[in-house]
Amino acid sequence: MNTAPVQESNSRKLSWMRIRSVARRHYYVMLRSPHRLFDVTIWPLVDVVLFGSIGAFVAGSNSGGATAFGYLLGGIVLWHIVYQAQIAVSTGFLEETWSRNLLNIMVTPVKEWEYVAGVALFGLVKLVAGTGLVAVAAIAMFSFDITELGLGLIPIAFVLLAVGWLIALFVIGFVLRYGSGAEALAWGILFVIMPLSGVFYPVESLPGAIRPVALVLPSTYAFDAMRTLLDGDGIDWATIGVAAGSTAVLTLFALAFVTKMLRLFRARGFITRYS
Amino acid sequence: MPAYVCNSEAMDQVLRAHGLTKDYKRTRAVDGIDVDVSAGERVGLLGPNGAGKTTTLMMLLGAISPDAGSIEICGHRLPGGRSEAMMRVGFAAGYMPLAERLRVREFLQMFGELYGVHQIEERIQAGLRRFRIPQLADAMGTELSSGQRTLVGIVKATLHRPRLLVLDEPTASLDPDVALRVRTGLRELCESEGTALLITSHNMVEIERLCERVVFLSRGKVIANDTPSAIATQFESDDLEAVFLHLAGVGTEPDEQRSQETDRG
Repeated sequence: MNTAPVQESNSRKLSWMRIRSVARRHYYVMLRSPHRLFDVTIWPLVDVVLFGSIGAFVAGSNSGGATAFGYLLGGIVLWHIVYQAQIAVSTGFLEETWSRNLLNIMVTPVKEWEYVAGVALFGLVKLVAGTGLVAVAAIAMFSFDITELGLGLIPIAFVLLAVGWLIALFVIGFVLRYGSGAEALAWGILFVIMPLSGVFYPVESLPGAIRPVALVLPSTYAFDAMRTLLDGDGIDWATIGVAAGSTAVLTLFALAFVTKMLRLFRARGFITRYS
Repeated sequence: MPAYVCNSEAMDQVLRAHGLTKDYKRTRAVDGIDVDVSAGERVGLLGPNGAGKTTTLMMLLGAISPDAGSIEICGHRLPGGRSEAMMRVGFAAGYMPLAERLRVREFLQMFGELYGVHQIEERIQAGLRRFRIPQLADAMGTELSSGQRTLVGIVKATLHRPRLLVLDEPTASLDPDVALRVRTGLRELCESEGTALLITSHNMVEIERLCERVVFLSRGKVIANDTPSAIATQFESDDLEAVFLHLAGVGTEPDEQRSQETDRG
């Protein structure tokens, strides 16, 4: 009779086993696709060179230049937290569609949150590598050390990490609904979020018509708090509080959206696109 | 107590699906069908293209949600009990590739862990041996032939000793000798471990050899549900292939169709 080699161990243990397994699968994928390292090696370096050079140029040109230099380099280093977190989770999911593995995964006992947690866990490794490289390159090339901003960076980094993951959930939702045509969002959406979040400048610099959009993004407040730190005014807990609160609201929206899209995916039989 | 067995009251029936209905935009793909599978039973799900076989399987696996009807696997009702139900189900399909950039062993390890399998290396070795492919353990998925991929897919589907094994066209791309190896392995698995089998195939001979019961679908409805020989008798045919051709509308009568083929041959 069926004496299965699995045990009804507590579900937390089982969940951890699945999360680890998904993370390890994506580690193998990265290991064997060197081009995937572009996101955590070349791109961060290009960003530092580009924005650092602009900053250095501005710094030498006018009196406010030193401030702009800090905003540009601080912005690009912290932006990579959003970028790496988002790209790792989005492309992790897309990998399952590219390799037609989605059906294989969907018919296992793995729960949706366990899968996302597994991809996000591996994404943390990429995030540390990518953001770390940006930070080190900023020191090496422009003598800009982000860690000098101190402990205030920690809550800001957490908000930006969450924002990256939440954007990825929206991307996954769109891909579930619209198929591979929506894949471009994985990269394209960041080009929308970046200027709207005021990564390099206060949102007051944005055209008035789009400023209200910027004000609903948690990342806007996180970068605002970063600039306060750069200006030497200490930790702006009020702004960080707004960032955390709006992140909580965005979380609810993202979860509701991806859940609805998954329900639609199953209801309309979209799995046949990938099998 | 062995883990991941069925609930005691549901021991005899590993799958109960009743009144399954699925509509796509302008088509009713599945129209109120019932599929029950008992422990250790080998059931073939047959029908012409577009009969609703794959949609039915996808609903049973929780990948597509039915518009109406209920699905219960080992006492776990979908969709709420999907994860628990899938602990007891294995799935493989002839058309499914292996995940890229993984070695066979890594692929199997990943899926074993998703099912919570312990002593995973032992299970991988045993599974590969059962289907006579232990030499493939360290091969990359991309290096395998389609037949080898299918065999590895079946090993994946049986790693956790499922109560119900669902196979969609598993031998579609296999040579006769490999197909025989699959049938032998599956029969041995079902007999030694009491695993129930629900299989689709376009190879009627294979189904006759492997399955104790056949559920015949046509235009989304069950039109026959019996042993292969009883279904052949019901349709006044010699075998399932003649029944299939009749239902697919090729020729007016099964015997007439066969004689036409003989004449052409």
